[in-house]
Amino acid sequence: MSKVAAAPSSPLRTFWLKWRFHLNLLLVLVPLGFMPRYFADAALFRGDTGIGERVAGDVQVGPWSLTLAEFRNEGPSPDPAGPMKFFNAALCAACADQVKATYLRIGKPRSLRAAGVIFFGTPYRMGAGLPVPARTPPDAELWITMEGWDGTMHQGSIPLSQASPATIAWLNKQGVKP
Amino acid sequence: MSKKSRSKLWFLVHSWLALPIWFFVLIVCVTGTLAVVSQEIVWLANPEIRASKPSDDAEPLSFDQVIAAIKRDDPQVIVRSIIRPDESHFALSVGLSYPDGRSVEAYANPYTGAIQGISPAFDFQQFTRALHGWWLVPFTNGYSWGWYLVSFLGLPLLASLVTGLVVYKRFWKGFLRPTLRIRHGARIFWGDFHRLSGIWSIWFIAVISITGTWFLIQAFLGDNQISISSEPIVPVIARDKVPTSAAGVPAPMIPLDDAIKIATQRIPGLEASFVFLPLNAYSHLQIGGRGWYPLMFQTAQLNPYDGDIAVSHLLSDRTPLEFVTESMRPLHTGDFGGLWIKLIWAFFGLVLSMMVLSGLLIWTKRTALATANALKRSHKVQRQAASIPVMQTETQEANP
Repeated sequence: MSKVAAAPSSPLRTFWLKWRFHLNLLLVLVPLGFMPRYFADAALFRGDTGIGERVAGDVQVGPWSLTLAEFRNEGPSPDPAGPMKFFNAALCAACADQVKATYLRIGKPRSLRAAGVIFFGTPYRMGAGLPVPARTPPDAELWITMEGWDGTMHQGSIPLSQASPATIAWLNKQGVKP
Repeated sequence: MSKKSRSKLWFLVHSWLALPIWFFVLIVCVTGTLAVVSQEIVWLANPEIRASKPSDDAEPLSFDQVIAAIKRDDPQVIVRSIIRPDESHFALSVGLSYPDGRSVEAYANPYTGAIQGISPAFDFQQFTRALHGWWLVPFTNGYSWGWYLVSFLGLPLLASLVTGLVVYKRFWKGFLRPTLRIRHGARIFWGDFHRLSGIWSIWFIAVISITGTWFLIQAFLGDNQISISSEPIVPVIARDKVPTSAAGVPAPMIPLDDAIKIATQRIPGLEASFVFLPLNAYSHLQIGGRGWYPLMFQTAQLNPYDGDIAVSHLLSDRTPLEFVTESMRPLHTGDFGGLWIKLIWAFFGLVLSMMVLSGLLIWTKRTALATANALKRSHKVQRQAASIPVMQTETQEANP
């Protein structure tokens, strides 16, 4: 286009003049490249591909149970409040009306008041953001507490390694921090 | 610097602002235009989102009646939210949760409560907004870099407006004597078009570039955990405020219509247009809508068991700064006053897209000319520095 300006100039400038309009091409390739990811994410958020990227399995909690899934099959994501791992869950068909609230925690809670983070959502699809300290031992257990409408409480657990292998990989990469 | 060479410089800056990325800028303008009327485009294409009246004297249902109708048709489904769109020809947007784990937006008829359809996996409205807003780059940690990429364009757009007005001598005369010469060749036509549409869109380019730049600032503030919001952080409902009931019997909540009545009484001028139902037993019911100032929403969070308003966020709670910053998004999207404002925004969005294109056409034609001239001259005078003629030919435009 502008060959005239290229005569007495540095190689960098020549390069810029020759290739600058290709920036357009590069920029337009960006959304094209991200399109598969965009539609995969849209399907994940809609629940077209299930309650999460990886279903960890069913956890028995007293008379009740739930299906636990990792929202994303990856380690905790960075957050201003510390690393956070998002789990999704679905209550068993019979317990939707029985369970008042469901909580998630690393390690066994001492009481209902320290049951951990609460799940938000419907019995069919609910989610909780679990803080995962970098010093969490890889053999930790994930404890689920459920509360009934009359105040009864039941607990159940699943090894973290089973609930989220990606989190274990992440913990191993962190190394043990004092 | 002399007055003439200064205007030459301004002109060069104006010519070069968007040039290397002109196609990117064009696509952002076009997708933005589409995003403004995306809801209307879907309305035209898909009868499921139309609010068809079953009979002439049909009255819209209350939110409780809508939920009852949905539950009657499908007892398993759980309603998570209801949004009544600003324009009455749109169906209600209802957030539904299905036993198979799907959580989708559905379209409910406001007069019968019937679910007319479920938003498709390819949601045109969401897609155009994602493409325009963040270039589809996913949000992984804070704002996506696509968001920064697009919102950064607010700055060159603002600079184009300013430099354009500086180089267009006495531009206000263009309002009185509009010029659009059609029979003088493409170069003249596009030049006239660029100037004419430019002066008539001064206000629009200013609005879009300033609000676009705000999105850049917003991302920067967000990613650095700087908050200017007066919105209270709402804790979950205290344990003793949630009644205990018999095993297997969820504690009864007050009817939604009663909750809306309570919120409307407490918040003067509230037109409740959306409700978000509690997300668990310890979560509030959120009711919101517009007030006297059409660019912002007011919300109230109620205890769903006794109707007690725990937190509200009203227009009167906002700081003057928030009136400015919260108005930025509706001003950018044109979504605050119904169909006509959207159509005005879409029209000027189209004009802005055409300005990017006409600017490019002018540049190409002029550069082609300048290149030809420069080559001719360099045949005559071998030793003459080659870049100077280009600048001179280019800047002739500064004094049309």
